[in-house]
Amino acid sequence: MNLERSPVRLTGGQSPVVDGSPGDERTSVVFDLEELNVFYGSFRAVKDVTVPIRKNEITALIGPSGCGKSTVLRCFNRMNDLIEGARVEGSIRYHGVDLYGDDVDPVEVRRRIGMVFQRPNPFPKSIYDNIVFGPKIAGRKTGLDDLVEESLTKAALWDEVKDKLRDSASDLSGGQQQRLCIARAIATNPDVVLMDEPCSALDPIATLRIEELMLDLKRDYTIVIVTHNMQQAARVSDRTAFFSVDVNEVGQRTGRLVEFDTTDKLFTTPAQTETEQYITGRFG
Amino acid sequence: MTDTREHFHQNLSNLEQSVLDNANRCIKMSAMAVEAVVLPDLDLAARVAEEDLAVDQTYLETHNRWINTMARQAPMGGDLRLMSVVLHLNTTLERTGDQCVNIAKMALVTKDLPRSDRVLQMIREMGDLVTPMLRTAVDSFVRRDVEAARLLPAMDEPIDRLNRNMYRAVVDCGPAPAVLEWATRMMMVARAMERIGDQAVDIGEQVVFLVTGEFVEFADPGDHDGDRV
Repeated sequence: MNLERSPVRLTGGQSPVVDGSPGDERTSVVFDLEELNVFYGSFRAVKDVTVPIRKNEITALIGPSGCGKSTVLRCFNRMNDLIEGARVEGSIRYHGVDLYGDDVDPVEVRRRIGMVFQRPNPFPKSIYDNIVFGPKIAGRKTGLDDLVEESLTKAALWDEVKDKLRDSASDLSGGQQQRLCIARAIATNPDVVLMDEPCSALDPIATLRIEELMLDLKRDYTIVIVTHNMQQAARVSDRTAFFSVDVNEVGQRTGRLVEFDTTDKLFTTPAQTETEQYITGRFG
Repeated sequence: MTDTREHFHQNLSNLEQSVLDNANRCIKMSAMAVEAVVLPDLDLAARVAEEDLAVDQTYLETHNRWINTMARQAPMGGDLRLMSVVLHLNTTLERTGDQCVNIAKMALVTKDLPRSDRVLQMIREMGDLVTPMLRTAVDSFVRRDVEAARLLPAMDEPIDRLNRNMYRAVVDCGPAPAVLEWATRMMMVARAMERIGDQAVDIGEQVVFLVTGEFVEFADPGDHDGDRV
């Protein structure tokens, strides 16, 4: 592949150029998953997932436990590379570039595609140092104060912490810590933010604040969220992918995509009976 | 099939049953109301008014239970569509009940007036059409029968036609003031039946939405640019 002709370079060093105008169904695809299969050794954890992820949208991945939605999410920034024996078949193209291509640098991938996890995991450092940690590693030496303010403002946390930036991040509440993690993720100037059940450890008010934040952030970022909370997916996402799980005779669980559609359509008139049964609470 | 939302689905089923209770009341009331006017029978007219009290009471209770269910349960998919249809039908049927009362009231104000056979025949014809039409609409809801629902505009057409022709029939009643007063009241009865027909069509549209997820406004074969008078 000639990466020089691609809109995004993932070989490290240079800032990528992101193409795609919002609203254009063809050019606005950020990720294009085709027949994605994920294996752990010989065991197939996820099979045949074909999904486009569009720019400046929130895409929710939902489904029962073990359906592979977090596994798929971790493919978007090659986090599965860190698991021994994990491999993918099929393709994930990121702005047209094969994300798993030989010449793609996983570190650069993770800089471009940030991630927020289930439990807030701030570094045991000050609020300020949490934000500048990634950019400093990337070589940034100037404008750090502005970066901290900008990132915390975008994460709707600035007003609450601007007078205690040198305090320990661990002194913040759970909801504040999670917003700090979002601020930390966007401080490296990604164009995608992955969220793996980002509100499951938060109280309802903190949850709603994160959801509002996501709706603000999608103006600047593409967001993919895994959530167990169907109502959360319905509240925040533009499109939803519903996964289910097949269990073989020895109890191994393989996830598969059942339906992918706009959130409006999927939660009011799903095309698949399996989706209808899941969202209305009927199984079996 | 395991239902993990059994209590919610029981609530939803109860809401649907309340709407069906009102639907069955309205079917009965429409037949009674026309009969009360045609005979005329004031006792029958009074029973229509009593039934409407039950319709109104059920309407309010259903509305309140609907709000609570919506607030607590956040339905999705087919459940969400059924909730939407229940709310719509609840309002539609309350209005149908009101139209039945409007018809029945005319029994009282026209009981001593002389009549026109032609107009009376038209009222009978409309009554013979509108009650079965309402029943068809309600049955299509019960059976989730899109094909039956799609028959309703055609069933509504002769009701609309009779209503349009009513004006000329009333004018033709001649100069006698008492007959003219009776006939003018019958125009209002015809208008009320025409509205009930439209409400039955509306129920059919909701059935299509419930089953398919698409809201389609049925074309009205009797829809004309001007009134044929």
